[in-house]
Amino acid sequence: MTLLHDPDLGTPAKPGESSVNVVVDGVEVTVPAGTSVMRAAALAGVDVPKLCATDSLDAFGSCRLCLVEVDGRPGTPASCTTPVAPGMSVATQSPKLQKLRRGVMELYLSDHPHEESGCRPNGGCELHDLADSVGLTDVRYGFSGANHQTSTTDASNPYFAFDPTTCIVCSRCVRACDEIQGTLALTVEGRGFESVISAGGLPFMESECVSCGACVQACPTTALQEKTFIEFGMPDRTVKTTCAYCGVGCSFNAELRGDEVVRMVPSKEGGANEGHSCVKGRFAWGYATHRDRVTTPMVRDSFRDEWREVSWEEAIGFTVDRLRAIQSESGPDSIGGITSSRCTNEEVFVVQKMVRAAFGNNNVDTCARVCHSPTGYGLKQTFGTSAGTQDFASVDQSDVMIVIGANPTDGHPVFASRMKRRLREGAQLIVVDPRRIDLVRTPHVEAAHHLQLLPGTNVAVVNAIAHVVVTEGLVDRDFVAERCEADSFAQWEAFIARPENSPEATEAASGVPAAELRAAARLYATAGNAAIYYGLGVTEHSQGSTMVMGMANLAMATGNIGRDGVGVNPLRGQNNVQGSCDMGSFPHEFSGYRHVSDNAVRELFETVWGTALESEPGLRIPNMFDASLAGIFRGLFIQGEDIAQSDPNTKHVVAALSALDLLVVQDLFLNETAKYAHVFLPGTSFLEKDGTFTNAERRINRVRPVMDPVHGKHEWQVACEIATAMGYPMDYDDASQIMDEIAQVTPTFAGVSFDHLDKVGSIQWPCNDAAPEGTPIMHVDGFVRGKGHFVETPYVPTDERANRKFPLILTTGRILSQYNVGAQTRRTANVEWHEEDVLEIHPHDAEELGVADGTWVALASRVGETQMRAQITDRVPQGVVYTTFHHPESGANIVTTEYSDWATNCPEYKVTAVRVRPASVSDPKGSAEPVDVTT
Amino acid sequence: MTLDALVRMANQIAANQVHLPPDEAASRVADHVRLFWTPGMRQELVDHADAGADDLDPVVTEALEQVRTTIPAP
Amino acid sequence: MTTIVYVPRDSAARSVGADEVAVALTAEAARRGDDIRIVRNGSRGLLWLEPLVEVDVDGTRVAYGPVAADDVAGLLDAGLLRGGEHALRLGPTDELAWLSRQDRVTFARVGIIDPLDLVDYESHGGLVGLRVAVALPPQDVVTAVADSGLRGRGGAGFPAGRKWQTVLDAPGTTKYVCCNADEGDSGTFADRMLMEGDPFTLLEGMAIAGLATGATRGYIYLRSEYPDACDILRSAIEIGRAAGWLGPSVLGSGRAFDVEVRVGAGSYICGEETAMLDSLEGKRGMVRAKPPLPALEGLFGKPTVVNNVLTLGSVPAVLADGAESYAARGMGRSRGTQVFQLAGNIRQGGVVETAFGITLRELVEDFGGGTVTGRPVRAVQVGGPLGAYLAPSQLDLPMDYEAFAAEGAMVGHGGVVVHDDSADMAGLARFAMEFCAEESCGKCTPCRVGSVRGVEVIDKITAGVDRRANLVLLQDLCELMTEGSLCAMGGLTPGPVRSALAHFPEDFGLTPEEVAQ
Repeated sequence: MTLLHDPDLGTPAKPGESSVNVVVDGVEVTVPAGTSVMRAAALAGVDVPKLCATDSLDAFGSCRLCLVEVDGRPGTPASCTTPVAPGMSVATQSPKLQKLRRGVMELYLSDHPHEESGCRPNGGCELHDLADSVGLTDVRYGFSGANHQTSTTDASNPYFAFDPTTCIVCSRCVRACDEIQGTLALTVEGRGFESVISAGGLPFMESECVSCGACVQACPTTALQEKTFIEFGMPDRTVKTTCAYCGVGCSFNAELRGDEVVRMVPSKEGGANEGHSCVKGRFAWGYATHRDRVTTPMVRDSFRDEWREVSWEEAIGFTVDRLRAIQSESGPDSIGGITSSRCTNEEVFVVQKMVRAAFGNNNVDTCARVCHSPTGYGLKQTFGTSAGTQDFASVDQSDVMIVIGANPTDGHPVFASRMKRRLREGAQLIVVDPRRIDLVRTPHVEAAHHLQLLPGTNVAVVNAIAHVVVTEGLVDRDFVAERCEADSFAQWEAFIARPENSPEATEAASGVPAAELRAAARLYATAGNAAIYYGLGVTEHSQGSTMVMGMANLAMATGNIGRDGVGVNPLRGQNNVQGSCDMGSFPHEFSGYRHVSDNAVRELFETVWGTALESEPGLRIPNMFDASLAGIFRGLFIQGEDIAQSDPNTKHVVAALSALDLLVVQDLFLNETAKYAHVFLPGTSFLEKDGTFTNAERRINRVRPVMDPVHGKHEWQVACEIATAMGYPMDYDDASQIMDEIAQVTPTFAGVSFDHLDKVGSIQWPCNDAAPEGTPIMHVDGFVRGKGHFVETPYVPTDERANRKFPLILTTGRILSQYNVGAQTRRTANVEWHEEDVLEIHPHDAEELGVADGTWVALASRVGETQMRAQITDRVPQGVVYTTFHHPESGANIVTTEYSDWATNCPEYKVTAVRVRPASVSDPKGSAEPVDVTT
Repeated sequence: MTLDALVRMANQIAANQVHLPPDEAASRVADHVRLFWTPGMRQELVDHADAGADDLDPVVTEALEQVRTTIPAP
Repeated sequence: MTTIVYVPRDSAARSVGADEVAVALTAEAARRGDDIRIVRNGSRGLLWLEPLVEVDVDGTRVAYGPVAADDVAGLLDAGLLRGGEHALRLGPTDELAWLSRQDRVTFARVGIIDPLDLVDYESHGGLVGLRVAVALPPQDVVTAVADSGLRGRGGAGFPAGRKWQTVLDAPGTTKYVCCNADEGDSGTFADRMLMEGDPFTLLEGMAIAGLATGATRGYIYLRSEYPDACDILRSAIEIGRAAGWLGPSVLGSGRAFDVEVRVGAGSYICGEETAMLDSLEGKRGMVRAKPPLPALEGLFGKPTVVNNVLTLGSVPAVLADGAESYAARGMGRSRGTQVFQLAGNIRQGGVVETAFGITLRELVEDFGGGTVTGRPVRAVQVGGPLGAYLAPSQLDLPMDYEAFAAEGAMVGHGGVVVHDDSADMAGLARFAMEFCAEESCGKCTPCRVGSVRGVEVIDKITAGVDRRANLVLLQDLCELMTEGSLCAMGGLTPGPVRSALAHFPEDFGLTPEEVAQ
């Protein structure tokens, strides 16, 4: 039940090829075969009363309100479960139908709180609205009969409550949990009148429920409702915006009462989520108004000093004075900036422009450096563009999917639900992951193959898969001949066919049994539409870029590119990883992935920006740290990223940050990085931002402000003021002007504007004259670079190896309820699910090391040591331990190393040789305060 | 700049061209360094090689001959 | 010379001491040095005479009953083994009027053979139908079933041949045959007696259905209250597999068909075919909306034949004797025979298989011998707990799907439950609502909530609370449940209520005129 009544056609669309003509209440309508009478009626403009039906769920036929009469047929069939037939004539209104509907409503209301006793009409209960519409005035049964009105509310979930007294047992919640979310946590218990909705007999919080909110969304009464709704009451306005958590980019309607956000309701019109959500986007937005928000600029001379609250003017003046002083002492290249994948395209564009045009160098990088920079590199090399090839809906057509180094049910839950739906329909799944992620076996989903490789051996595995394809005659020769370079294919084919790439040869390194790998390879190559989905388990390795190219090679060789159901698809970690890369945040590229040395491109920017630009690449983030320690890089502006917690080898990072003469942090909170900052500039939360995010499927979504910036300034305004004070005037009336400039200088964005977005909802780039409505699927008729380019992908093992001193391999990931460094989610009730990071360890290793479940362990690598609690589980194989990095207290990155991808310097988070021992009593528990290297 | 980091990065790039003949590998390394390294980083490594470094992959050493020509005059 | 003595293993017979009789016979015969072999056959269906012991005297089976263990010595003394006279002697079994007046087709072998003796089965015509089916193209088998006029014996009476045709025509290689053996209607026990007395017939019928429709796997959904049937069926399946007429190559045809028994968990609604499919899939038994028809999207979403035990059990005879032979029996569109079960307040309860067309009076009075209490019949409920109550004036109704439907009643699964004139018909009407409230799957509103309100409204009426208004409400509710329910459970519940109101208004404290309004 939502404030905005999205049109609900009652039952899902049927993609029928043939169409059927029917007449509903005298209105003729043509619909695809298989469409329900209810949907046909809705399309004809006839609203049939319904409670159990909604167009996001399969027809169920339980409420019996939607009964209709069909000419020539006996009885009163339910319109939701009755498919149209050619020439059918349907009446949705008659005295008999009215009487039946009143009868049903009378039964419902005989076991429902009366208006006087709490169930508020216009309070989110469709039941009362419908009672009025069917003309029911009197409940002749009275209210003294058997009922559920003394049942108690289950308020165990921090975000929503279940009140059985208003429940009508329509099963929409159960079906939403089954069909949309795919968790199957809910059921109906008892039979007959005793039927009640149940989370498997447990309170919601103790059940399998993942708190995605699908049940709350589906509930037609107030039985399942947000606690904020109960607390604040009915919202009075709605703003359509985009979630700021992961790279799925769900569309939400923010519902407000005055300036108070009452709830975030996923939008059915959202291209990425189609009405679904997860616990983070749906519920964990309270951080935006958390008391920890810093809303006043602050400065200090040394990071050891106390902060001083100052005006914006003073903060910007302080910043610019220092930046200028550094540049005059150490040259123009001695300062730089880092953009954030958490910010809008417009904010990112302005910061990189500030660096290039006002700082006068290319020392700009983005936090995507540490996550998906290999994606940018690898896909550009092979396909010609640095982006995933598909839209999310493509997976609905996949026959087999490979999930490599991604954990979608935790990291990208809304897309995972879509994957699971397709898997339940019969698509097959291959999981390549050292850890047994939930997708390997989850209700009604089981992977055909789980290739449980050792961390760091991705390339060996992908090469072996390709080897099977090439040597067993599974190459799609027609596709390769027509779409790919003959020369590079021939070289690659010869390379990959070498015996050292065979499954039998790579088995020793990867630990993947050759027979299983061969079977998986055959499945991928022969099952029809095969799609690859991957995450940071691919990129965050010494061979991250090689692996991305290896997957691209594989997809091209099997012809799995350029249509629905196939492709190579990065699952982006943050809301705007794609966008921040698109916007020219990398030190070597302008927006649209064009190298700074390209004279024509640079001249375009110089003309538009009215200043000369540097033609050589600038520093990457790790280079910045090294340069800082070397004393040649001294001033850094960081937009919304907590590199002290998120970047590897904390000791090294902290040393580099501490060595800076000026560190400017713009953020919502005083994060770990701000401990070393000289200037703190308050940022804006997504509820205050005005701009766009670009999700993992290249979909540009509008982010609309539901409130003004709490401190009065948009982030792009701050960057503009710094640039202007540096002597390069930058000014925009509003964010839409920034997008206009992006469109002006970026061919793939040429057709994008706020007006266009407001009109069509969202656009997937490229969007230009050739594709005015955007491009859901790329490389359809040809690759962006022309012919697909095969790259040989030798497997070069990382230097980071387990040894006697550090015998285990640590790999890292994330968990559903927490997000990244936890700056947001730790400031919400999501901590109830995950209040600390734990170390997963295999029972055999635990026994050998004397580690008991739930006890503190010390985790050490060659670069640092931290403590956390152990969780003994066979999810991880022997020899591998796993943790998350959401909490600064445990500081997983204290132990990760400086090793990185050979091509992009994306850190090797996923492989660290470690030692684990039970923590002794004297060990400071969980003290992971970054080491002060100056002492 | 931290020299060990530059040496490690350059050697790693070279190691990933292991499938190529040395001269082709050197060209690839040179291209990569030209596209992604700042002139200062390139200069530092060239200076290191010129000083008789013994910690560089021969492919890197060869590549640096091409890299040398890409560094703009300060 | 060994004398064969038949002591039923049917659970109705066992419940009145058949096992003890068998033990006593064995012991007593051994003591006397009599050479006997006891065959544990199915029941002949004369339940008031159970345990009914038969002795094979020179090829003629002579019946004695009801026999208690205490009677055994006396019976042997009286020359039981030679068919000797005794107070319990009933005469040659085949000559018992109760049996000789029947026309046993589906039940042809029940009570006659040893249920798990395949040789006995084949010597009594078993496997003839399957052999015919194996030799025919699937379409011809379906056509034979269609031509026989066989309709679903579970209650709905849907033509079996048409259902099979839909499954045969459905695309796909994975199809199923599901036998509904969740015999939950009160006063019904024919499924159980067939499964216990002649399990091979059911399995043969399922195999024929598999061959006819392309299904390779069969499931018997058996109610948990039938443990004996479960054991017997599982043994019979093993025997069928060992003999090669179940398994990967039915009778060497190269076509596979195998069967598995799945036991329910005590839910009445799981006898509804779609709820049964849910339950077979391991889910909570919830009624599915139709369409899709189970014939197209049934078990695990695959084309599925769902038939009752008696339907499938009739199929071997159809194939063996020909469609015409079967179709020659019956009246109107109700062809063949029905296995009626007489129960309730009746003197001679049991199984009567006869062609459709027999009147209710013949069943209740001629076969049943009236009430066991000797009081006049007041009402007869046919077709289970949700069947309409028929008044004595309606006893001449012929057993025929259409004739019953015209009276607002139903033949259903053939259960006939008799009540004498002491019955409280308002209480029985209330029971229908109560039963529905207890057994509803809880999915649709009219059934889930309506049945509970139905009990409450009837209570108000009988208590004299606002009688006329509540009568209107009850009639509205009955209309809503009939017209608006998702499945037959809620849809049929008003049957007993409306018929009780119509025929016995005085039991509700109402006059006929009030009800008629």
